[in-house]
Amino acid sequence: MSNQIWMVTFRIFRKKGNLKPYFEDFEMEVKPGEYLLEAIERIWAYKDRSLTFAHACHHSTCGACGMRVNGKEKLTCITLIKDVVKDGGTVKVEPLRNFPVVSDLVVDIGKLYLNLESVGHHPVVSVVEEPYQDGIAAGRGSEADYIRLSDCIECGMCISACPVATTTSTYLGPAALAGAMQASLNPDNGVLKLVDCADGVWRCHSAYECSEVCPSYVEPGRKIMQLRRKVMAERIKSIFRSNN
Amino acid sequence: MIQTRADTKPGEGTGLWFVKILLGLFIIVLLLVHLIVNHYVGEGALLTWQNVVDYFSNPWIVFMEITFLFVVVSHSLIGMRSIILDLNPARGTMKIIDWFLIILGTGSIIYGIWLALKIASFGG
Amino acid sequence: MVTDTNKPAPANWWRWFDPRQRDIGTWAFILNRITAIGLTIYLFLHLVVLYQLSQGPDAYDGFLELAKSPIIVIGELLVVIAAIYHGLNGIRIGLTTFTDTSPFQRAIFYVFTFITIVGSLIFAVRMFTA
Repeated sequence: MSNQIWMVTFRIFRKKGNLKPYFEDFEMEVKPGEYLLEAIERIWAYKDRSLTFAHACHHSTCGACGMRVNGKEKLTCITLIKDVVKDGGTVKVEPLRNFPVVSDLVVDIGKLYLNLESVGHHPVVSVVEEPYQDGIAAGRGSEADYIRLSDCIECGMCISACPVATTTSTYLGPAALAGAMQASLNPDNGVLKLVDCADGVWRCHSAYECSEVCPSYVEPGRKIMQLRRKVMAERIKSIFRSNN
Repeated sequence: MIQTRADTKPGEGTGLWFVKILLGLFIIVLLLVHLIVNHYVGEGALLTWQNVVDYFSNPWIVFMEITFLFVVVSHSLIGMRSIILDLNPARGTMKIIDWFLIILGTGSIIYGIWLALKIASFGG
Repeated sequence: MVTDTNKPAPANWWRWFDPRQRDIGTWAFILNRITAIGLTIYLFLHLVVLYQLSQGPDAYDGFLELAKSPIIVIGELLVVIAAIYHGLNGIRIGLTTFTDTSPFQRAIFYVFTFITIVGSLIFAVRMFTA
């Protein structure tokens, strides 16, 4: 397997300025065990230096390389070529949906960052607030001593996959709502009021596509439901509070 | 402090969503009752006009059908409103749509009540 | 320079109904939306048609004869299937909202789809053999 060479056609979405978008085919020799991002980099290096795409860490931590591969959202730095195409086949690569395209495979993800900031999402959290996915204990000392990077790598793939985000730009979206759930662990910051609206938790229609495509165990769909329960509990408590 | 969002829409907050899902639950119960009594209770299982008139001669049936009508119309129009909200209409447009749905819903329920009472009146 | 390509827009509404490359939860959402719209149209048609009842036996019984035609019976069966599915998916949405069962939303969908199919077959047999 490691010495095999495949011939694969990469059908890449191209868009420059105000010109009409189109798909361009690049035939590449690739190893099936390579990552898709490596092939895209070689297309840029050897075939077309005008191809624009985002990438940084190459190990699924930064979230920069999210794209749609054969229509499905994937982090291309951890997507093996053999998992998305066969020898002699064609793989379609497009930018994320529901974010405006800047150029080719690069989208403007700024709204996501603004939404995350507006709900008070912290990229670095205490392990107590956001335990590790596999529940491994932090080690020596009390758990409260340890901090970690939040699960969300802000890749935007959940928003690309969300059916609601495709028609409305004002919906906070799965990533920001999951971030709001994290922020709501601090009860005094008003985030529950913020998400209790038509563009917040109540816009979700339980498609759970966000949880399907999330590469980082955030489970945004589940977090939205947890947030809904918190919002409802807060509403009920506020009725009793105002009656006192 | 969390930044407030000037563009958040009021409208489908906790209250309306909760009402929609509660109405849905009532529909499941009332639909079962509606189907069972329509097709299994009473003479002829509502296959003729006279069967329907006889069926509506029971005031509990009239009450059940009117309640069912109210619940179904409300749930369906709140649901349609949710679908329209997904298209992100402007506030002004949404106000017009809201009024249209309220008038359609109220009109349907009034018409349904009139119809139920009219059929009941045929029974004497 | 940011373009308008891929921006969210109401014109993308058809994508709500596009299941390609999407998972089971999106299928549930698509079917829920289609059945919601279908049932709403049926509801108002049903209310309009029932006006015949107020016009006396000739009008209503005449309509019932028409309602025995195969197209109408198939239409009514579709309404029954839609109602069963929509109600069960509504329960799925309520369950995953009010309890922490979101991780099992796919399994719940499979079970409810099975019940929908069984219920639909029972109604189909009853309606076509009546």
